Amino acid sequence: MSTQDVVNAGGDALAARKPTGNGVFSTVADYLRGPWCIAIYTWREGIRKKTLMGFLILSLLVIFGSTFLSAFLDPSAESDMELKLIKDICVTTISIFGVLITIFISASVVPNESENKVIYTVLSKPVRRVQYLLGKFLGVQFIIIVNLALMGGLFFIALYLRQWVLPTLLLWSILLTYFEFLIISAFTFAISCAATSSVLPTIGGLFIYITGTLTEYLKDVEVRSGQSGEFFDEMIGWLAYGLRNVLPNLQHFSLKMQILDRAPNDPPTDVLIPHLMAYGLIYAVSGFIMAYLIFRRKEL
Amino acid sequence: MKRYPHIMLFAALVASLAVGSVQGCHLRHLREAEAFYRWLLAAATHERLFRDDAGEFSDKELFDTVARKIESDIADWEVEDDQADEDVSTLSRVAGDRRHDHALWNYARGRTLKEERRRFLQLARERKLSYARDIDYAEAQAGGVNLFNLFFGFRKVAANFVWIQVDRYWHQGMMYRMIPLMKTCVLLDPNFIDAYLLGAWHLSYNATAKMPDTPPALKRWHPKYQVCLGEKELYYYLAIDFLKDGISKNPRNYKLYFDLGFAVYKNKLSDYPNAIRYLREAVRQPHDRWVPRQLYICMELNGQYAEALAGWQDYVKRFPGTDIAQEVGPRFIQRNTALIYELRAEEAFAAAAAATDPQEAEARRQEAYDYEQRAIQIWTEMKEPYAEYRLARLHALHLTEENRYMEAVAMLDKARWENPANFDDASDLMIEIKLRGGLPLSVSEKKAVLRREAGDICQGMPEDIRRQRLEEAKAAGVQHDPELLESLE
Amino acid sequence: MANERFKSVSVIIETRDLNKIYEGALRGQDVHALKNLNLAVNSGEIFGYLGPNGSGKTTTIKMLLGLIFPTSGSIEILGTTDIAAAKVKRNIGYLPEGAYYPDFLQGEEILRYYGRLYGLAGAELNNRIDAVLELVGMTFARKRLLRGYSKGMRQRIGLAQALISDPQILILDEPTTGLDPIARKEIRDILARLRDEGKTLLISSHELLEVELISNRVGILFDGVLQTSGTLDDLLTTREVLIEVDNVSPQSIEVIEKAGFRIEDRVHQRMKLRVPEGRSTYEALELCKNQGLTLVGVMPRRETLEELFVRVIGAAEAERRKAS
Repeated sequence: MSTQDVVNAGGDALAARKPTGNGVFSTVADYLRGPWCIAIYTWREGIRKKTLMGFLILSLLVIFGSTFLSAFLDPSAESDMELKLIKDICVTTISIFGVLITIFISASVVPNESENKVIYTVLSKPVRRVQYLLGKFLGVQFIIIVNLALMGGLFFIALYLRQWVLPTLLLWSILLTYFEFLIISAFTFAISCAATSSVLPTIGGLFIYITGTLTEYLKDVEVRSGQSGEFFDEMIGWLAYGLRNVLPNLQHFSLKMQILDRAPNDPPTDVLIPHLMAYGLIYAVSGFIMAYLIFRRKEL
Repeated sequence: MKRYPHIMLFAALVASLAVGSVQGCHLRHLREAEAFYRWLLAAATHERLFRDDAGEFSDKELFDTVARKIESDIADWEVEDDQADEDVSTLSRVAGDRRHDHALWNYARGRTLKEERRRFLQLARERKLSYARDIDYAEAQAGGVNLFNLFFGFRKVAANFVWIQVDRYWHQGMMYRMIPLMKTCVLLDPNFIDAYLLGAWHLSYNATAKMPDTPPALKRWHPKYQVCLGEKELYYYLAIDFLKDGISKNPRNYKLYFDLGFAVYKNKLSDYPNAIRYLREAVRQPHDRWVPRQLYICMELNGQYAEALAGWQDYVKRFPGTDIAQEVGPRFIQRNTALIYELRAEEAFAAAAAATDPQEAEARRQEAYDYEQRAIQIWTEMKEPYAEYRLARLHALHLTEENRYMEAVAMLDKARWENPANFDDASDLMIEIKLRGGLPLSVSEKKAVLRREAGDICQGMPEDIRRQRLEEAKAAGVQHDPELLESLE
Repeated sequence: MANERFKSVSVIIETRDLNKIYEGALRGQDVHALKNLNLAVNSGEIFGYLGPNGSGKTTTIKMLLGLIFPTSGSIEILGTTDIAAAKVKRNIGYLPEGAYYPDFLQGEEILRYYGRLYGLAGAELNNRIDAVLELVGMTFARKRLLRGYSKGMRQRIGLAQALISDPQILILDEPTTGLDPIARKEIRDILARLRDEGKTLLISSHELLEVELISNRVGILFDGVLQTSGTLDDLLTTREVLIEVDNVSPQSIEVIEKAGFRIEDRVHQRMKLRVPEGRSTYEALELCKNQGLTLVGVMPRRETLEELFVRVIGAAEAERRKAS
């Protein structure tokens, strides 16, 4: 049949493009080439967003402003109070603005692209949906990392200029902050795959952040329910138990604040940090699978 | 995968969430262990250093259980510069040495203390922890609207802003508003060392700067601190409490021990034994160079000349080439050496006086003169105000021995005005000589005697303690003025 | 079909009984967007896919591209039903309707991005970029940011990205909408050139004139049903004759209309008279002669696509009304 000829003709034309290398590595590299392009593109697009720039500039202002805030303190009291104030404010600023940036960017990349129809041109190319999602997700991570690096780097320099000691603990703190953002980002991304605009996932992302930090409350719910012994009451208890165990607990990352003014009586953190990183990665994978599950058969 | 992709994906999702949950449990375990570890340190510190303080400790039983359980494991662990009492548990001793922190942390998260850790969380949930109440993770166990949840993990920042307000109140002179806010501040951030330090400084120095010393008749018995206090003195004890709170949460920070020992006990209360106790703790932690110097000075003030001397010698050896080692250290070494000679002379004189055999007495006296001569030689070489004062003092004591009281008093009077640093010491000695020689006391001296007599007794004292103190005073030969006693009833 | 096979025309895109139901929140709100669609696009032709807004054109195209999934039925492209396969997708270029292209990129960068997604790289990619830019006449603007592009230029860059992998099939959704006449002409020329190169084009449009000018075959979709499809020659068979006459008087008009001929374009004394299919032209001429009118000209008139479209849609609409 002549249809086959056409296909073959197309195949011949493409034969030259096919990678000559074989083995697992080249297959994986081939598979990731598309996602990589998409990630770079997403990154280039993302860093031009005005909201992001706004947040970034605001946070940089706060980081610089914290120096002036310390002027409220009594200068006659000779202490490191100022330094602590600056450190705490800056890490909080990085957390808050970083979370906003993370949520906004994770919530918007996919819905925006389906809104302006770029997604049609991309998915009509030989790019599988999972590759597309992977590319987008990686791009989002690049943006978050660059933002964090900018804010953290500036803060790092500011701290260094103040005390002339390299604040290496800050780097650990920023690293932990990133892994916290990774979880938020992954789940926001999953919601955004189900949504048609970025409004809903943005709200969802904020919700994830808030509930994630309040997971310990569920313990309270669990303990308090089941007191009446009624079925409904007990059920709420089970639900709270289940949620508490399944939902990511972002409070675990409070180490990022603690590590900054590392007190000599803190327990060694070398155990906690790798575990926290693993925690972030595992939930990022969950979020991504969730995103793919939603997006796999989504009608665009 | 090809056939049931949705089911496979869903299974993968469930699996990853399950792994996440397991990892979450592990993290929770680590954080529980962290809270437990902090509590252990706090409780151990409490047992070792603050065990005499009043208070109910509902979690003491748990700590004792833990201590008993690992007693045999840690019994032969080496503890450096241990100054704990005999009956303090091995755990508390070991916890006092920071080299064992890592090992204790392993206990805190290990299997051995699993049951106790569970019990600890149970106590936290019931809000029955009293050694350390503000360990954030333990706090969260209690549920409800607690500080842990309230600030989305940003409580440390909140602590900073609270501190700014404390600072503002200070400038407005509102001490009474500062105190609760300072407590809030360290509640929000239990590792806020500077808040503890500055807070204690405000309490012990700034709050009391313009207050006069409370006259004995106005002091009242304070049941918590078991001492007689006026309003001014109470602030010192508030500062002590504040610093102790900080120490139990940050037992590895030398600054807190240092401020407690130096700034409050030494400078404000002149309580040298306690000052030495906390300064020694400060020296056990990683510390700045001035810390041991204050310890040696306090030792000297407390009459522990030999220890002070050893300390200074060690210091000079440890930091050769510094100004302190070259200028200050040698002076203190000389000074303590001389003081030791003076002490030996004094002991020899006393032995001579007590000796029944006149030959023996003569030998002792000769020995005493010998020591005294060595001291005088050192003092003469030193050529500094303190040395001159010591010489004058020795001279006055000699005059007293020869019953030349008037001359001795005149000598000391001159010396005390030339050496204001030793004014109190000279004045006390003058009163003693006057009493001994039957010379009339001045008005201020009479007051000083009265103050000394009434020193330990005040209004509101429980009867048994009052009686005990009066008996002690009588045994020491202090005669109480009945009028004064009446005024204190 | 037998006839087509005989002519050895291969079918590149074929749908069989394709149905698409968009599920609403409630059972009654379901939208049956495509009903048993049987579509065939042959190799080397321009297929005009026509229909009013909301008739299901874009739905069909999205299904062909795997952006949405059929409720029932099957799609075969290049002889395979696995339309998500890379070898199929490499052979399809797609230009969506009113697509946006990131304006922070240069024209060339956009093409490079899409080219990479096709797996192109290196010198080959550069060659393709040069070639498609040349083809769409955008070589002069390759280094300019898209921000500075006109609408026509953007559309041409869109076309270029669809062509970057040198695909066998081009699917274009409303390629000329919103463009000025010159830009339309340019796009049309490009499409014609592509057809001459042997590509297969599926153009969805409601700009009938455009389609008529370049299409070989059309299909008319209304309400999810393919009302008719075929070559233009087959579909536009209806022949009429127009007779242009002068010196018209009101009485003559009355007579002519009574005889059943329609009058068009009357200006003063001049008018056109339409001879419907089945009536004799001679009869009309005779009538005009009898009325003393001056004959200006006689011209044959092929039905326009627009007329076909209106007729087909009108009939379908009437049927639907009758059914409901």
